[in-house]
Amino acid sequence: MANPILRVPRSLPALQAAWMDWARTDGLTWVYILKALGAAFLALGIAMRLDLPQPRTAMTTVFIVMQPQSGAILAKSFYRIGGTLVGLVATLLLIAVFAPQRELFLGALALWTGICTAGAARNRNFRSYGFLLAGYTAALIGIPAAQHPDGAFLSALTRAAEVTLGVLCAGFVGALVLPQHASLQMRTTVRARFSAFVEYVSATLSGLVDRAQIERTNARFLAEIVGFEAMRSMAVFESPETRGRSGRLARLNSEFMSASTRFHALHQLMNRLREAGATEAVQALEPYFKELAPLLHPPGEPVLTAADAAGSARKLETFKAALPRRVRAVRNALGARPGFALLDFDTASELLYRFVDDMHAYALTYASLATTTHERERWPERYEPKTNAVLTSIAGVRGVIVMAVLSAFWIATAWPNGGTLVLNAAAVCALASSSPRPTRMAYQMAAGTIVATLVGFIVVFGVYPHIDGFPLLCATLAPPLAFGVLMTTRPPLAGFGAGYCIFFCVLAAPDNGVRYDPAGFANNAIALVLSMVACAIAYSVLLPPSTPWVRGHLLADLRRQVVLACRAPLARVRPRFESRARDLAFQAHALMQQDPAAQRDALAWLIAVLEVGHAVIDLRCELTALPGDARYAATMPWRRSIAHSAKALTALFARPTDTRLDAALAANVDAIAATQQALAAFAPPREARHRLQRILSHLHFVRTALIDPESPLARYAGTVRRGNAASA
Amino acid sequence: MHREIALIGAYIPALVPLCIGGAALTWLIDRLLARVGLYRFVWHPALFRASLLACICGVLGLAVYR
Repeated sequence: MANPILRVPRSLPALQAAWMDWARTDGLTWVYILKALGAAFLALGIAMRLDLPQPRTAMTTVFIVMQPQSGAILAKSFYRIGGTLVGLVATLLLIAVFAPQRELFLGALALWTGICTAGAARNRNFRSYGFLLAGYTAALIGIPAAQHPDGAFLSALTRAAEVTLGVLCAGFVGALVLPQHASLQMRTTVRARFSAFVEYVSATLSGLVDRAQIERTNARFLAEIVGFEAMRSMAVFESPETRGRSGRLARLNSEFMSASTRFHALHQLMNRLREAGATEAVQALEPYFKELAPLLHPPGEPVLTAADAAGSARKLETFKAALPRRVRAVRNALGARPGFALLDFDTASELLYRFVDDMHAYALTYASLATTTHERERWPERYEPKTNAVLTSIAGVRGVIVMAVLSAFWIATAWPNGGTLVLNAAAVCALASSSPRPTRMAYQMAAGTIVATLVGFIVVFGVYPHIDGFPLLCATLAPPLAFGVLMTTRPPLAGFGAGYCIFFCVLAAPDNGVRYDPAGFANNAIALVLSMVACAIAYSVLLPPSTPWVRGHLLADLRRQVVLACRAPLARVRPRFESRARDLAFQAHALMQQDPAAQRDALAWLIAVLEVGHAVIDLRCELTALPGDARYAATMPWRRSIAHSAKALTALFARPTDTRLDAALAANVDAIAATQQALAAFAPPREARHRLQRILSHLHFVRTALIDPESPLARYAGTVRRGNAASA
Repeated sequence: MHREIALIGAYIPALVPLCIGGAALTWLIDRLLARVGLYRFVWHPALFRASLLACICGVLGLAVYR
């Protein structure tokens, strides 16, 4: 065979290598399948042994909570038990108040489910599971119990016991049998991201990267930042060791955001300068870039570890300490030349200094991860992934409508399996709303349920009559369930696998005494599929999330982050601004998966918002640090003109129009002129002079961001440009 | 100690509150051991923790079933 990959390994080391490779990739999937099956059978066995009325509920629960990483299982279990208890209490309350009136009861239940669905959509970490379960348990317990109110309390308690048993089994098996730690994966991610970023910076500084690749890299970083936070929130459940590092990991993410924004700004500015023909300023700065690249990443060296990062941090510190003096020397030499773009040079060198500073902090935090405790752990900022309020309420209203329509259908037709219909609609609505693409998820779950029905029918009526005893039962159930678990490990088919596993258990898992009732089985299956189809239709017809209106709303919310940057209290504004802008952009990006042009638009807005917001925050920091002299008071004309330009900027980003862009640009030019005048008139001491120069460079950077032809703001510049061209 | 105790008028096994207390105690001890740095020497921390829970709940159970 010519292909070396397909060659059969013959020597012992080759076999060993092949085995190791298998264990790292496919082996993990098999381990996960075995763990999921083990946990499910453990839950089933214990539930049968304890004579609980519905062991299948325990087994179903295992498949709802099972996740490859152990931290994820514990995190889910924690919130799931909490959610179950809340749902239990809510149901008992609803039954106590409304049970005799089914319209009122179902209406109240629909409202409760809607609230829980909204909560599940709002929180995209494990809190989402608490809400999901609070809604699902309420429907699961409430609907059967309301039909027999006399036994409601006892049946509610046994249901809760079954759910808790399933949660505990999944948790124990996940954590004890061949655990796969999210913290380990996290360490690899941190290391890979540090190296990837450093490589990206080095490559971009040497001019080796084209625009399309930069866009791709930025989209990847965006997804990683959001994913990292989700992983961190799981990993803290794993071990106290990770919990002790959690603050530093959050800080690392935040510093990464800051450094990548700054680097992007620097890169954009250099591009703009090149295009504007300010070659002297560009040439004056390029030597520093060439020096910086090897400091970050010595060429030819492998992936950086935390220990290497400490070395990088030391080198960066020396570079950073020497940088201002060197830049000033160049500035003095070149500034005298006529036609030298001094303001551009100042802005770029200021950005370079800030970037080195951010990179230094990032490397220091990365290096600090090598020890268990560290002073950098104290980091008050928390990244909170929250879905936009409008999207959340859409999910909630949709849940209420689906539940209400299906309940009305149940009441109108008096279908005996209507309860199953309504109950599962609640579960599917909540499950789908927490996934990034709800419509596809609901359709996939429906498909999975159809397959589960067919397989379940064969298992229940073809195999169960011929077997006896628990071991044989497990042997029967293992192949069909293993197929479903395998599907859940393939991301494109995750919805299919989840629907298949969960509803196979609902339909075909045995109770203590198996009842053979083909008509009942078929009715249940029809109810399940119908409920999923109803959800899928509701998701694609009723306020679908990808309509232009929702997209516009998300982008408007993203732009409003600049208003936040201008107005929010300065102490905690930077991390809040960074994480919220990125979170919104990530949501927009996930919503528009079928539309790459819209995705690019969202990314472009994110970049524009980040650049301007960052510069505004820097500007505000410098302004508050000005000395308490009357010349720098906020009532002085030059301070007023800066305040006016900030106001014009917030107006522009609150609702961009042509006139507002012009107003913002004009105000910005006024502010620059006023500050330059102030700088010339005051002849301030060295410290204050540098501060004023920095203020100038931030103002100038905002200007370059506003007139950037690549920015989405450029489409609002039409009239002025046209007007200028006509008058010229 | 009695095998069943009355909680708001309902009889529940005394093991239930004991195990809840045991879990809380395990959590506390776990934090302490992590602070000391014991987990660096443990092969399978999750197994260690689960065994700790079993031991503590078992010892507490001796108060009831002896």
